[in-house]
Amino acid sequence: MSKTRSFLENLVLVAIVLVLVQTFLEDLATVLGWTVATRRALLLAGFFFDLFFTVEFLVRCYDAFRYRRLGFYLWFDRGWIDFLASVPLLLLNSGPSVLAMYVGGVSIIGVGGMLNVLKVVKAIRIARVLRLLRVLKIFRRIKNTDSVMAQRHVAMISAITVSVFVFILLALSIGGTVVPFPSIDQTYQEQAISAADYVAAEGLADTGREADLARFAATQSAILTVEQGGEVRYSRYDQEHLDRYFQAVDYGLLPRGPVDVFVDLTPINRDQAADNLRYFVLIVGLILVLMFVYSPHFALTVTDPIHVMRRGMGEKNYSLEVRVPSEYRDDDIYRLAREYNRVFLPMKDRENASDEAEPAASHLSMGDIKDLFD
Amino acid sequence: MNSESDKAEAFVGRLLQNPALNGFSALQQEEQIIQFLHVNAAQLAPTLSSAQFFPGKNWNAVFSLLVSKLTEVIDRSLFADLEQILTERIDYTFIQLLRQQQADKDMIVRQLMTLVRKLLQKSEARRAFTGPYTALHFGLADRYVEEVFSRKSYIHFELTKVQRLRMGKEEVRNFVDVTLLLKPSVFMLGSSAQSQQDRATGMVQNQFAEKVLGSLKKELKLIPEQVLASAVHASVSFNENRFVEATSRLAAIISARSRNYQANIKVDRGADSPDKSWLNTARRNYKFYGFDIKMLDELYKIAAENVW
Repeated sequence: MSKTRSFLENLVLVAIVLVLVQTFLEDLATVLGWTVATRRALLLAGFFFDLFFTVEFLVRCYDAFRYRRLGFYLWFDRGWIDFLASVPLLLLNSGPSVLAMYVGGVSIIGVGGMLNVLKVVKAIRIARVLRLLRVLKIFRRIKNTDSVMAQRHVAMISAITVSVFVFILLALSIGGTVVPFPSIDQTYQEQAISAADYVAAEGLADTGREADLARFAATQSAILTVEQGGEVRYSRYDQEHLDRYFQAVDYGLLPRGPVDVFVDLTPINRDQAADNLRYFVLIVGLILVLMFVYSPHFALTVTDPIHVMRRGMGEKNYSLEVRVPSEYRDDDIYRLAREYNRVFLPMKDRENASDEAEPAASHLSMGDIKDLFD
Repeated sequence: MNSESDKAEAFVGRLLQNPALNGFSALQQEEQIIQFLHVNAAQLAPTLSSAQFFPGKNWNAVFSLLVSKLTEVIDRSLFADLEQILTERIDYTFIQLLRQQQADKDMIVRQLMTLVRKLLQKSEARRAFTGPYTALHFGLADRYVEEVFSRKSYIHFELTKVQRLRMGKEEVRNFVDVTLLLKPSVFMLGSSAQSQQDRATGMVQNQFAEKVLGSLKKELKLIPEQVLASAVHASVSFNENRFVEATSRLAAIISARSRNYQANIKVDRGADSPDKSWLNTARRNYKFYGFDIKMLDELYKIAAENVW
């Protein structure tokens, strides 16, 4: 591997580790209600990571195409994971979010409109689930075992497990938008809409009814601010707090004639971010268990005995037996290993002893004395 | 550094410093290098015959020069090590116990060294000495004797009740060490009596062994006959002679094991430890090598328990 390629591969590895941290922090920031500035920085970082991984995917595609290995890369070398963890996220998640952040403004929505916008917002959030696939990218870079077979086998199991999990989540989320299931989201939306209707119908935003409006708003946590004719009639927080903790995606506007009711969307965002965090932790936990529990188990019960037998068959000097753990002694591989220990090694030993013309091979090789001839 | 001898010594010295040879005894290193020269002759010949190394010499001449220099270099460290083992490590009290009279340690050491020096001039004896010397160098017999005495099982019974060695653990350990040292003495009369299988296993016929014993008694007058018989019988198959001494049987196994022993070897994950692996293979080939299967069984258990 050339130095440049090696540098780029290491750069990608660092980016993968960082993007996992960023993914976690982005949702954590929403759950813990971090400031707008911090969340924007995290969102921007996410956007640049998505851009980076999209470029990485395209470069790998081009490289594979040059060597007529595009199909191999996409299907067998987990190129499809590289694709799903980059392009759709850039186009459906971080791209639109960053655009919304810079274009700014509040969605002006009616009753039906609010639901539509929430669906768009939800689509963006649904796409976020794909970010979880990034965890799989780490498998290509980190060699958690010396065996190529173990590495590939565990990577395959991880890819299947995580992909199925992510795709089921995705399907459930999409299904939820088509067939609305009763949910906290929906209840919250309905409450917000009926509260806005009530404010408009009862004239609570009229001059002189500030106390009634405040009393009512105190019972409706969804109401953030109420304006009439451009004048603020009620605000749950002062302007400094709103500037510091609320950005475009954190509130929605319900215009009711002359009355504008701004509703707080952070509980919905927080709920979904908490879900994402749970999924993220679950997937990372799953991957870690596969890497550090299943992978060593696979090595112990499959690749290690094969490695010992392969050396014994290939190297004249190597005559260590395969260790057969009693709990696995009836596994196919250990049945083979027992035959190797019982038949092959004694036969090899007798053969070596009888082979006077060719004594045991040397541990020295020409490579060991290369410097002598330089 | 102009003379060919100096160049050969420098070349051999560099080979001996190679980390791949760490963990081997001097004689094992010698074998490794000779084998290396054999295997890589085609690649080494053009370079070593060039003006930079040994101009005008063909490969056979270069090979002979390197091997003789290698033997010379190895002998220096080998004899120094043997001298140290014979004078500092081995205690000859067991000889006093066997002869029931005082023995002059210096005289014994001198006799033993003289014989070993003579033996090592013969290529077969030198080759056969690799295992015993490696065992002596790394003290491999010692650790097994230690365990044998703490277990007090078959081998202990064979040593103390059948062979009737009325002595302690330390004396038996020294007895086995001297048996190992003198094991190649079966080559003092040449190796023509060996069949092909005997050459493979390092064993000799019983009758030949008795003939060697007669000669050995004349050479080593200070060493009791039991010790000499033990050394000579260490090269006699237990299949052929069921009365082979326990020390001989033990020395035969330890010597064979030590031939390919490497200290501080890194064991692959999924593989058994080196001694355990070797002893288990030897258990299956015990008839081929003429080993005592019960002794192998006990040594195997010891190796397994100690992860040797």
